Amino acid sequence: MRGHAHLVAGYIPGRSPFHRMPLWVKAVLLLLVAVLCLASPAVSVPAGAAVTTAVLLAAVASHGVARLPWGRLWRAVKLMLVFLVLIAAYQWWEHGALVAWQVVAAIVATVLASNVLTATTPVDELLDGLAAMVRPLERFGADPERFSLTVALMLRSIPFVIGAFSDVRDAARARGLERNLLARSLPVVIATVGYARATGEALVARGLGDPEPDDDASGGTGPGR
Amino acid sequence: MSASARQSIVLSAAGVDIVPADAAAAGPKTILKPLTLELAEQRIAVIGANGSGKSTLLRLLNGLVLPSTGSVRVNGLDTAADGAAVRRTVGFVFTDPLSQLVMPTPVEDVELSLRRLKLPKKERRARALDILAGYRLAHLAGNSIYELSGGERQMVALATVLAVEPSILVLDEPSTLLDLRNTRLLRERLASLPQQVVMSTHDLDLAADCGRVLVVDDAGIAFDGPPDDAVARYRALVG
Amino acid sequence: MNPTSRSRPAPDVTAKGPTPQPSSASTAARAVRRQRFNAVDLSLIAVFAALLAASIAIPGINVGPLGVAITLQTLVVSLCGLVLGFARGTAAVGLYILLGLVGLPIFSGFRAGPAVLASPSAGYIIGFIFGAAVVGLLAAWAVRSRFKTAALFGAALAGMVVIHVFGIIGLTLKGMALPAAIGADVIFLPGDILKNVIAVAIALSLHRAFPDLLVRRRR
Ligand SMILES: Nc1ncnc2c1ncn2[C@@H]1O[C@H](COP(=O)(O)OP(=O)(O)O)[C@@H](O)[C@H]1O
Ligand SMILES: [Mg+2]
Repeated sequence: MRGHAHLVAGYIPGRSPFHRMPLWVKAVLLLLVAVLCLASPAVSVPAGAAVTTAVLLAAVASHGVARLPWGRLWRAVKLMLVFLVLIAAYQWWEHGALVAWQVVAAIVATVLASNVLTATTPVDELLDGLAAMVRPLERFGADPERFSLTVALMLRSIPFVIGAFSDVRDAARARGLERNLLARSLPVVIATVGYARATGEALVARGLGDPEPDDDASGGTGPGR
Repeated sequence: MSASARQSIVLSAAGVDIVPADAAAAGPKTILKPLTLELAEQRIAVIGANGSGKSTLLRLLNGLVLPSTGSVRVNGLDTAADGAAVRRTVGFVFTDPLSQLVMPTPVEDVELSLRRLKLPKKERRARALDILAGYRLAHLAGNSIYELSGGERQMVALATVLAVEPSILVLDEPSTLLDLRNTRLLRERLASLPQQVVMSTHDLDLAADCGRVLVVDDAGIAFDGPPDDAVARYRALVG
Repeated sequence: MNPTSRSRPAPDVTAKGPTPQPSSASTAARAVRRQRFNAVDLSLIAVFAALLAASIAIPGINVGPLGVAITLQTLVVSLCGLVLGFARGTAAVGLYILLGLVGLPIFSGFRAGPAVLASPSAGYIIGFIFGAAVVGLLAAWAVRSRFKTAALFGAALAGMVVIHVFGIIGLTLKGMALPAAIGADVIFLPGDILKNVIAVAIALSLHRAFPDLLVRRRR
């Protein structure tokens, strides 16, 4: 299904060490990359550049170890190329070549490392990780069950919205309105809001998604509400 | 809860008015005139033209819509005061199963229904698969709901509602999006249920299966009685 | 807002008796703390987050002189504030960003994961949350204004300014010179203004199609 293909586009199946590593280990490694890149220049400029270069090489190597296509690595860099050039130019002008290299290498290294994490972890596992992170917040008034329900609703709605966009585009084309941005987006949003309401109503009908009654019984439950 | 025990839904002068949100617009509009009814038969159909008020009537039965006048009681529970309890008693199936199925796959959706039972995760999954198997839907358990046919979706939606064993089942035009074969499957499935069933439909065959048929016209009940007479009255109304 | 009346499932149908339901922009900030979203609210938040996620996959018009295909994303961010108001609008954008950071490929260019925070455009993404919040706060007031269209457009522009300011700060924090950052930013202004015009047009139609969407019924 096109919607689902879009959702799993980040994950590349495989059996590399990174694919088999638990998510929390990958998360800790990623944090380590970020900390090394940010903190090392505080020691000294050459030390920062050396550490960051090493981290960048490690990130590129991880990319290879995870057997991810090189095109993907390039795509990640290409998307920020313009900004990277501008940043490098300014840093070189102000602080010299070494600093410019450190700053740019730090950005690329962190982006690549994060790329390895998302490419080697299935979406389900990422979402379970998110749920595990939210659970301890229950003490502070968060509602993990309702949160997970909302996340599930969002994931499940993406194919609907993409489908609505393509239906509306076809309809607009049929009427010769394909260059009219309003004609291409208004019907999608109206359909989307209608769909959201129908879904919300279905949740109510199934007794799901409303706050726990004991949490908001303050207003009383008389017929006059 | 025993589904076969006699159920009773009582509407006492229950009507629904809409106050427009826009203050500039006209005053309240009546979308259901005050009705007094007792619904106790095992199979009840609601027929009538588009916009006549069928959905509004059905939504009153599980508190999705609250009456602006009068009251609605299901087995003695007031829909306004005990909304949550009423919705546990009354399962509701919508016309479009896509807005009803909220999870990406059927098994997850049934699990969502079962959440109320507070089972451990593994047990909940096993129970959900059992339920799907009971409705001969096991082969679809892990499919994306977008990959199911319209008929399969409606059957899954029915299963997710029945999973929590409501004693009354309300269906709003359940066959409107289905083809002939799937309508027949739905009809057979409904016939086999122990629950009290109240449904609106444009399918007069489906209505003919019911012991009692309400004809809704212009926000009120135009006829209430056996299916043959009801269909005749409906045809006369259409002219 | 009164939590009991908010949890009523069908907000467009009046219940018996007077329903006190104060809702105004001035109480919005207080409401966030006490308010509990009902099922329809959750559904709207989820679906607008999905709209944001889908908007990056929909090719818009090609405006960028850098060859960047401009997507409908900033249009949808404005729309979240204009249509859902402060609390739900901010929640929708926050949910979208959270899931993107966790690793769903839903940021522009199908980027995903915490990497986005390290990339030069991080400021824009953080800015989306604050932009939607500002639009939402102002929109609650704007729909009641006598010059509704102009007021809504003003709200949308205020949100846009917030997003661009965050974006520029993000660029400079990553080591870009301020003038260069501003230069790189203003390229996107004309497109964003156009998108805000459309966002307001959509919001006006939506408020007509669903009159109680933003402003809850008061009596
Ligand atoms: N929330 C609402 N706001 C305004 N009008 C409504 C609302 N719900 C229903 N109506 C109106 O009430 C009438 C009956 O609607 P409905 O019960 O859905 O009819 P049916 O299901 O028979 O097609 C229609 O004219 C419809 O436009
Ligand atoms: Mg209807």
